[in-house]
Amino acid sequence: MKGKKAITKLVILLFSLVFVLAACSDDDASSDGDSKVIKFMHLWPEGSSKTHYEIVNGIIEDFETDNPGVKVDLEVLSNEQYKDKIQVLSTSDELPDVGMTWAAGYLEPYVNGNKFATLDDLLEGDLADSFVAGTAEAYALDGKTYGLPLELNIATIFYNKAIFEEYGLEAPETLEELEQVIETLNDNGVAPIALGNKDRWTGSLWYMYLADRIGGSDVLTKAIDRSGSFEDPALVQAAEEVQNLVEMDAFVKGFNGLADEEAKSMFMNEQAAMYLIATWDLPNYTTNEDVPQEFRDSVGYFHFPTVDGKGDMNSFVGGPGVGLFVAEDSDVKEEAKDFVSFFVQEWGEKSVTEAGVIPATKLDANSLELPQMYVDVLNDLNSASNLTLFADVQMSPDAAQVHLDMIQAIFGNEVTPEEFTKAHEDALSAEE
Amino acid sequence: MKSSDKRKGLILTSGRSFSISNDMGLNEMNKVMSNKWVITLYVLPALLLIAVLVFIPLILTGYYGLMDWDGVGEMNFIGLENYITAIQDMKFWDSAWHSFLLAIFSTISLVIYLAISLILASKIKGADFLRKIYLIPMLLSSVAIAQLWIKVFNPTNGMLNHILMVLGVENPPAWLADTSIVLFAIFVPILWQYAGFYILIYYAALKNIPESIIEAARIDGASPLQIAYRIKLPLIMGIVKVTIVLAVVGSLKYFDLIYVMTGGGPNGASEVMASYMYKLAFSSKDFGYGSAIGFLLLVITLIVTIVIRKITASKEEIQY
Amino acid sequence: MKRIGYILLYLCLGGVALFQVFPIIWLFLFSLKDNREIFAGSPFALPSELRWENYVKVWEGGIGTYFWNSIWITAVAIILTVLFASMVTFAITRMKWKLSKLVLGLFMVGLMIPIHSAIIPLFSMFLNVDLIDNPWSIVITYTAYNLPITIMILLGFYYTLPREIEEAAIMDGCSIHRMFFKIILPMTAPVMSTTVIINMIYNWNEFVFVNTFISSDAYKTLTVGIQNFIGQYMTDWGAIGATLIISVLPILLAFIFFSNKVVEGISASAVKG
Repeated sequence: MKGKKAITKLVILLFSLVFVLAACSDDDASSDGDSKVIKFMHLWPEGSSKTHYEIVNGIIEDFETDNPGVKVDLEVLSNEQYKDKIQVLSTSDELPDVGMTWAAGYLEPYVNGNKFATLDDLLEGDLADSFVAGTAEAYALDGKTYGLPLELNIATIFYNKAIFEEYGLEAPETLEELEQVIETLNDNGVAPIALGNKDRWTGSLWYMYLADRIGGSDVLTKAIDRSGSFEDPALVQAAEEVQNLVEMDAFVKGFNGLADEEAKSMFMNEQAAMYLIATWDLPNYTTNEDVPQEFRDSVGYFHFPTVDGKGDMNSFVGGPGVGLFVAEDSDVKEEAKDFVSFFVQEWGEKSVTEAGVIPATKLDANSLELPQMYVDVLNDLNSASNLTLFADVQMSPDAAQVHLDMIQAIFGNEVTPEEFTKAHEDALSAEE
Repeated sequence: MKSSDKRKGLILTSGRSFSISNDMGLNEMNKVMSNKWVITLYVLPALLLIAVLVFIPLILTGYYGLMDWDGVGEMNFIGLENYITAIQDMKFWDSAWHSFLLAIFSTISLVIYLAISLILASKIKGADFLRKIYLIPMLLSSVAIAQLWIKVFNPTNGMLNHILMVLGVENPPAWLADTSIVLFAIFVPILWQYAGFYILIYYAALKNIPESIIEAARIDGASPLQIAYRIKLPLIMGIVKVTIVLAVVGSLKYFDLIYVMTGGGPNGASEVMASYMYKLAFSSKDFGYGSAIGFLLLVITLIVTIVIRKITASKEEIQY
Repeated sequence: MKRIGYILLYLCLGGVALFQVFPIIWLFLFSLKDNREIFAGSPFALPSELRWENYVKVWEGGIGTYFWNSIWITAVAIILTVLFASMVTFAITRMKWKLSKLVLGLFMVGLMIPIHSAIIPLFSMFLNVDLIDNPWSIVITYTAYNLPITIMILLGFYYTLPREIEEAAIMDGCSIHRMFFKIILPMTAPVMSTTVIINMIYNWNEFVFVNTFISSDAYKTLTVGIQNFIGQYMTDWGAIGATLIISVLPILLAFIFFSNKVVEGISASAVKG
């Protein structure tokens, strides 16, 4: 009988647990007492991105001093884990008050699901005219802006000047010249281009530039926003050019199985002569003390060459990286918006001088002490005729996956250029 | 404490020859061993834990599979559409086939693990030391294992290709980039990582066999090989069956190394069911469809497990 | 002849051992290198200089709290899992009831759920009972998800226990609880140590659940500490190597301890047998 009683108790206890678990009760305690707490998540851990991390902490400290009664509660995750966690949090309406987002396609589901607050009031107020043209727009949907960018990157081809010199090569300005460079390097047993296409967006950069040069700077954007078509002959030809490059062994061996990081290290260990990457890598070639001075001095960059005399070398692939969002159902929305505005203003100059990030806010390059390569890149940005946002960011998450898979397939010679463009067209038109 | 120890010793020493012949004892025994309250008390905590933490999510996964849901906005009920799409989705069946291949390879490799365990358990010198070493890969997290093998397989700087080139192979393959090899290349670290796990279980099972039985066989003139095959193997058959199920189930839902090392690529050549599900739910933000795939994964695993249980059960009847 | 056979046998076993031991050696070398050496050099090349600063970096990253969390969460989850699993296995294999097969089936199904389809439902459940960012959510999740495999492994061993032992105990007037705790559990010590090792490995290295359910630094475990060194564009692999070496040490020691227990238990039961 004693056992019976114990079991009854246990059953009641456990069943009540089940009931509580099943019951839905939404209570959010963002503000405790009179001090308000802003939950903030970012993706720059101390271990790998120390300067970013410290700048953020400095900004938070300043903000808290300026706004007594408001506290910022921080959670830091690494890139992949950050994305996963945001996904989980959003299913339960538990997004942090302020967090990081990517532009265009990434933020679309969040906007449609009414999770992000509009930030247009900030853009018209404190932050009026402070962003580089085209950056904040990448976070806009139907005329409203849902995120404020922190970084701005453009992709260029970095090359090893020492290797080029050794074989009497010059930075190419046309695809033909590039192909000659590749041939010479191959003849001398030097791997021409480092490419880590396991990550797929890396190969996408090559394809995007070829499309830009062949079909003009808006052909890809139009195909994606459906005012054009992905079966445009220029887009087919760009895919053909990709296969030509693969055919002539332009890329390091086994590139489809290499991570970008492995490819980068091949370039940095002088095992490959060229590397197409965005300017977030600049510190490695300028200020990063862990990289030997000799190597840093030997790195230069050139704009993606023209193809058959077509294309504008001042048209870039790139765009803003991460940006800040404010959660729509945040209990401290006003404070969160203030924080975002404060953050963006403080971030600009500090990020470039301390962390080597090119911010999306306007900068006066001449007033700052910067390495020459930064000055050059900032000048390029000023004279840029066009900036095409990374294709996988432009597209919706679903179509982006198709694009990325197809990139691996075209580089791996597993599909024809026609199949390549058709798959894109199908995926994009399915979403119309 | 002391008295019970004594009693235990008493029972154990007399255990083998002890048997109950009178009905009174048997009834008593049956009564005690089928006491419903005791059974409930013993089973309930665990059962409730998995009911709440495993079965509710499992049912919800099936339920989300009926939805059109990006994991962010509103859910829309669309009936079986996701499941129907999945059944016609060649990518899904490709990934399922890859998972099956992994299951087959894992099961076959159990034979090797079993052989090693039989050798280790046959009282050779240093067996205990070796057994510990064999488990080392299992101790490391998959993050480390993945990084190690990425470096082994690197086409230019990797160890494997260095060795192959020293051996005179002129153009060794790019293991993780070649769509026809990548799947098999990636099986190697997976099988390697789990070797110690199965050896651990087999070794414990083998050591659990009473010494007297083996001794008796040896006196009868059985060779070590015969003892292993005729006596030890049948005695641990129960555990072998368990490991077959574990290997198959574990393979069918396998994710870790594949996701880190190739991300399922190139172009889906190493995609398995779990990585495909993850990509759909988390990268493509097609949470409804991803859930449907997750649920199908479970159904497929369940069917395969039942089939295996049936096959191994009938084998048992033949043996005895 | 026999001698040659033995030499061959040891050569094979030794070869396998070498194959299995090399990751730890590699990892140790790795933890003393920087990114350049890690990616470009041969995996077994000695580091050009010993970068112990990787360890300093890791230690300063506040790994101590993570360490302690890993230990207690792993330990509590193991105790719960092995205890509950033993109880269930005992009830299923030794006791007579109609639903035993069905219950066993339910536990086996528990083996099959892919983790990534479980985390979203689990998250919303824990949120509703306010267990998010609470280490107990991790403990009970580990317990629940390791129960099936633990039960499966215990099962085979429980079937081989001689019935006479229970009969004798009950004839002696021993209560069933006493029998379970004082006789059955000690007898299954070897297999319990095996399941402890397996649980320990799983819990210690688990990553997805902690990452999803925990947000405060105070409750994070060692595996999450590794994340600290993975950057948006750059990753500090040397520091990751150092974290991994630090995190593998305790589990290595615990493993050696428990696997000696296996042998002890076995020789003890062998004497009895």
